[in-house]
Amino acid sequence: MDRFDARSSRPERSAEPGPTFVRRHGGSRIGLRPSGMTLVGAALLASASALAWPAYAQQTLNVATAGDQNMVDYVKDYLGPMFEKTHPGVKVNAVGTGPGDAGSQKIYEKLDAQKKGGAAKSDFDVIVIHQKAAGAMVKEGLLERYTDKIPTGALATRDTAKNALGAEVSGYVMPMFHSQTAIAYNADMVKNPPNSYPELVEWVKKNPKQFGYNGIKGGMSGVAFVAGWVAAFGGDGAKLEKGPYDPNDKAKWDKALADLKEFNKNAVITPGNAGTLDMLNRGEIAMGPVWVDMFYTWMADGKLPPNMKLKLVSPGMPGQPMYYAVPAKANEKLAQEFVALATSPEVQAEGIVKRFNWYPGIDAKNLEGKLDQAAWKKLFADISPEDLQSKGKPFPIAPYFNDILEAYERKVAN
Amino acid sequence: MPRPSPLGLLLVAPALALVAALFLYPLGFSLVAAFTAEGQPTLRHFEKAFELYATDIRFTIFIVLFSTVLIALISIAIAGVLTLSETPWLIATLRWLYRWPLFIPFIVAAQCMRTFLAKNGLMNNTLVAAGVLEPLQAQSFLDWRGIVITFVWKQVPFVTLMLAGAMASLDRATIEAGRNLGASRLRVLVELVLPQVSQTLLVGLVLSFVTMLSVLSVPMMVAGSQPTMLTVDMAFRINAYGDYATANALGVISYAMTAVVAWIYLRHQVRREAEA
Repeated sequence: MDRFDARSSRPERSAEPGPTFVRRHGGSRIGLRPSGMTLVGAALLASASALAWPAYAQQTLNVATAGDQNMVDYVKDYLGPMFEKTHPGVKVNAVGTGPGDAGSQKIYEKLDAQKKGGAAKSDFDVIVIHQKAAGAMVKEGLLERYTDKIPTGALATRDTAKNALGAEVSGYVMPMFHSQTAIAYNADMVKNPPNSYPELVEWVKKNPKQFGYNGIKGGMSGVAFVAGWVAAFGGDGAKLEKGPYDPNDKAKWDKALADLKEFNKNAVITPGNAGTLDMLNRGEIAMGPVWVDMFYTWMADGKLPPNMKLKLVSPGMPGQPMYYAVPAKANEKLAQEFVALATSPEVQAEGIVKRFNWYPGIDAKNLEGKLDQAAWKKLFADISPEDLQSKGKPFPIAPYFNDILEAYERKVAN
Repeated sequence: MPRPSPLGLLLVAPALALVAALFLYPLGFSLVAAFTAEGQPTLRHFEKAFELYATDIRFTIFIVLFSTVLIALISIAIAGVLTLSETPWLIATLRWLYRWPLFIPFIVAAQCMRTFLAKNGLMNNTLVAAGVLEPLQAQSFLDWRGIVITFVWKQVPFVTLMLAGAMASLDRATIEAGRNLGASRLRVLVELVLPQVSQTLLVGLVLSFVTMLSVLSVPMMVAGSQPTMLTVDMAFRINAYGDYATANALGVISYAMTAVVAWIYLRHQVRREAEA
């Protein structure tokens, strides 16, 4: 069930989120360090606003974040100080609950226990959670409906803002970022990359052992490739994303999976998400599915050849957002202001896109003009915002997702 | 035999409690979970384990057995040189070199092997640069061979350390006698030395076998996942499906493999004690 654990338990990734974050963004961090002049300005502003908003005096805003340590650092070192500056007297307290769905699960358990215990006030004011937990929390009434009360609420219109793996979450969540999988390829070795799954199949036939992916046990980029394959060849792709679930559907995938087994004979099975990138780097394969944020991070670190490019093949490949949500009985007003800041085009541009190489949570078109040309071009050079909108798919709903994995084990890997 | 004193029992109590809490209880729990579903006894989880992972079970047995054989051969060779060689610098160098992998954790070894054994990795690049290999002949060892190489590299020093120690404590007179009577060094090693240290060798190999069976990082990081070792499958069952039952069934299958090895070892031990 715990699908995101597979991703976050990648040893390469979780081993050093902190250092990578600092090293990678060493340059852009300088921009955040206020100069002497702005410090004075900020101090003046702070004292002035302290007079203006006495209501904020000595409050704490508790932000609980599922995910790797770099997500906690993001709130603690970047968002928190920014929010405190405009809200004097407020202290932002960031808490990490651990990577993967397990981290979201801990937040869920805490809120659930508080609700059952009849607590007057929630311990968390803002939470950052995965899709699966968001669905459950909305269903059990643990969250506050808030997105129509904040100015940025209308900026996120992608279907992930309304639907979390089949659960209706409209109004309860704001996407913090979108993470996306795509096919990375070496433009020197591949002049005309395939545009779709069927074209990819043809390409692999003609170029045996030049395409690599990590199966389903080595991390989520391979899982995403397989989920995309079943959506492309297994019949009704939209039903996998929206439901309703029908346990008999998996019988319809037999042909698609038999073809995948055939496909695998000419593909290389790599050891993990980073394993695929490693092999691309050494020129051992020319193409493979990757996480876009990892891809750009590796590019920035010089760990991939400069002529690597990305392609989002049709009908589409999965990605996932993380959500900002506000629990019931939280410090509602402050929490909403915090999320409004975090999802403002400026912060999304500077924090999410430039610092993390993630796709923005709000619609990409709102960032135009907020992001310097270089950063904009970098993120959308290979995959246009329109492509992202039409071919960036959610993962299948949980029961289909498990069926796909097990069907792969049974029919393809066996 | 003296009667056990209550004080002695008190002294071992903490150790026994630890074993019970950290090993026996989880073992029992895992056995129960593997053989029951909703409170009823069942073999369903084993059916699933064999249906999905029969290839991986065979793969695991093959990898571990093959590695054990290689470890035995290489450790005997190194320990033999250390004991019987008459070239002081060779002994000194080997003695200094062979222990290094002991201090390197499996996960670090796996990470090193990932770049060392790759198709365009350090090993092949070196061979190509040295003119030994044509670039087109280079192939990736990041499959079952990579796992075997990592295991052997990691476990040989451990077994060699035990074996060389045992050989060093042998009575040199038997070796000298053999040499004086004209036996080659190889013959002395095989016919005189090895029979006297076979017990130590067996212990080292049994421990290596069990260790290799339990390593998750190496198969996960070095090779792709089709096929893969049981540890990876267990982790996948839990992380992807939250399915502890099938993971426990796979665990019991691992126990069964170690049990066979333990049985061989114990039988050997008992026979030896009977002879003594």
